[in-house]
Amino acid sequence: MRHVLRLNPARPGMTALMAAAFTTVAFAQAQAPAGPPSYVQGRSTDQENSPLKPHAPPPTAKPGKEIPLAKVKLPAGFKIELWAEGIPNARSLALGTKGTVFVSTRLRSEVYAVVDLGGSREVKTIAKGLDTPNGLAFRNGALYVGALNRILRYDDIENRLDNPPEPKVVIDTLPTDRPHGWKFLSVGPDGWIYFNIGAPCNICVPPYTHAQIVRLHPESGTLETYALGVRNSVGMDFHPVTKELWFTDNGRDWLGDNAPSDELNRAPQAGLHFGYPYCHQGDTLDPELGKHRRCGEFTKPVVKLGAHVAALGMRFYDGKMFPAEYRNNIFVAEHGSWNRTQKSGYNVTRVSFGPNGDAKAEVFLGGILESEGFWGRPVDLLVMRDGSLLVSDDWNGAIYRVSYEK
Amino acid sequence: MNGAARRLARALAILAGAAAAAPAWAADPEAVRQKVQACVACHGEAGNSTNPGVPSLARQPSLFMQWQLLMFRDGRRKDPQMSPVAANLSDADIADLAAYFAAQKPAAAALAPDPAKAEAGLKAARTNHCLSCHGANLMGADQIPRIAGQHLEYVRTQLRLYRARTRADLDGQMTSAAQALTDENIENLAHFVATFPPQ
Repeated sequence: MRHVLRLNPARPGMTALMAAAFTTVAFAQAQAPAGPPSYVQGRSTDQENSPLKPHAPPPTAKPGKEIPLAKVKLPAGFKIELWAEGIPNARSLALGTKGTVFVSTRLRSEVYAVVDLGGSREVKTIAKGLDTPNGLAFRNGALYVGALNRILRYDDIENRLDNPPEPKVVIDTLPTDRPHGWKFLSVGPDGWIYFNIGAPCNICVPPYTHAQIVRLHPESGTLETYALGVRNSVGMDFHPVTKELWFTDNGRDWLGDNAPSDELNRAPQAGLHFGYPYCHQGDTLDPELGKHRRCGEFTKPVVKLGAHVAALGMRFYDGKMFPAEYRNNIFVAEHGSWNRTQKSGYNVTRVSFGPNGDAKAEVFLGGILESEGFWGRPVDLLVMRDGSLLVSDDWNGAIYRVSYEK
Repeated sequence: MNGAARRLARALAILAGAAAAAPAWAADPEAVRQKVQACVACHGEAGNSTNPGVPSLARQPSLFMQWQLLMFRDGRRKDPQMSPVAANLSDADIADLAAYFAAQKPAAAALAPDPAKAEAGLKAARTNHCLSCHGANLMGADQIPRIAGQHLEYVRTQLRLYRARTRADLDGQMTSAAQALTDENIENLAHFVATFPPQ
């Protein structure tokens, strides 16, 4: 196995002048190394003929009445209902001050707003033609959209859903790599916008610009590294009491069905290194890149969520509808595995904490993965003001609502 | 119920089951036939193109077709002929057309293999991970197209576009796979693919 790192892939016919210009804008133009498609990268010789490959979702939404929500399993007292449909490739969720739920897409190019009309929901398209607009954050009346290499701001958006403003460019010099190039945005208690710049590969020594969580000051435009050694985080939130950053991270592929685990991490301060690409799940050195390293160098995850479950959105439960023991628990949306012979994930997991702070993870919402396959894929979560929990599903293009009644 | 009635009941039950299992487009075959007319003018009867610059669509996986039509519709993928046609497709049109072409039988490869080129192409396909996604039979699956028997000229053009990073690419996999290809690789791969018998 070879790991090639090339920030500026040489191209035939490139002149010296072009090469020089290319170097000065290397950050914006950094590309994935030439070589195998990212998802087969890191395979061992005996995995060369593996039929496993990522699942692409349908590009259109499934009619809500065809989504088998009756198969969902929840603890006693909880129920699930279809909250909104017709949102193809529904991904990240963000809540506006006036109650608008914003929904992003990754493989499509739209951003949607869902307005609750009481008995029903209206879906409006507020942006289209964007490249990989997976990240969303709501701050001071504006919607921030994190696309592949830039972040856009739609001011006063909730008053202009039918006539959205032209977006302001907040930053447009982020890397353009497609592998793990999609963003997850979260507004910190400090007002900065935190987001991921994922590793541009399955497993490689990433460019110093990548495999991080960074934070951007929206007014000054200052960009800082916050956490290092993060392969790709597509879910983060801040503890309601301690205000610390917590985030999910997706483990590398092709180390077998049961390794390494996806991580739930805690970053109480800036500058911690979470191990990628040297150490996985806090205790397992990478068979190649981990040689000569020790896992003790790095910050360990709080919870190992399971191999290949694709832990994406995570939110603290700070609502009042669910029973008291759910207070400040963490819900994690597991998109579900592709790089595993027996599928796993496709759940929403609940992480609770014992008196000593010991974390316990258990399935909260199950029933999507069946013996013959899966019928949906949870992506992100949102705690609503009434304490109910929304779950987005990019496979069916829908949003579900989980509520509780004694 | 006598024997004949039982047989009739069983036949009706089978028919009903077949109707339930049939793809959505079968519900109104005439409407689908009309939609398909606009496609086959260039892509050939049943999606078997006779124009070397125009791809064959017969037995393309439905999910692949849906995403390509969507990318033509939203402007990510551009073509002087396709873009105006795709601009007005509804989601239902996209589903119908994808299901129709996925069910058509592909014509035999139009080109006879040159053994040396085909062998060099197979070698390049192995080195560059083509078979990992497109399958050993090059028939594709899900979001990945059938390339067996696809027109040489079309394949060559697309590989060059991917290498130049200008071909719309759902997930970036083909763009990264094409970066290492030399012109010679592309010629041999296109020949290997175009002469490979579709199933």
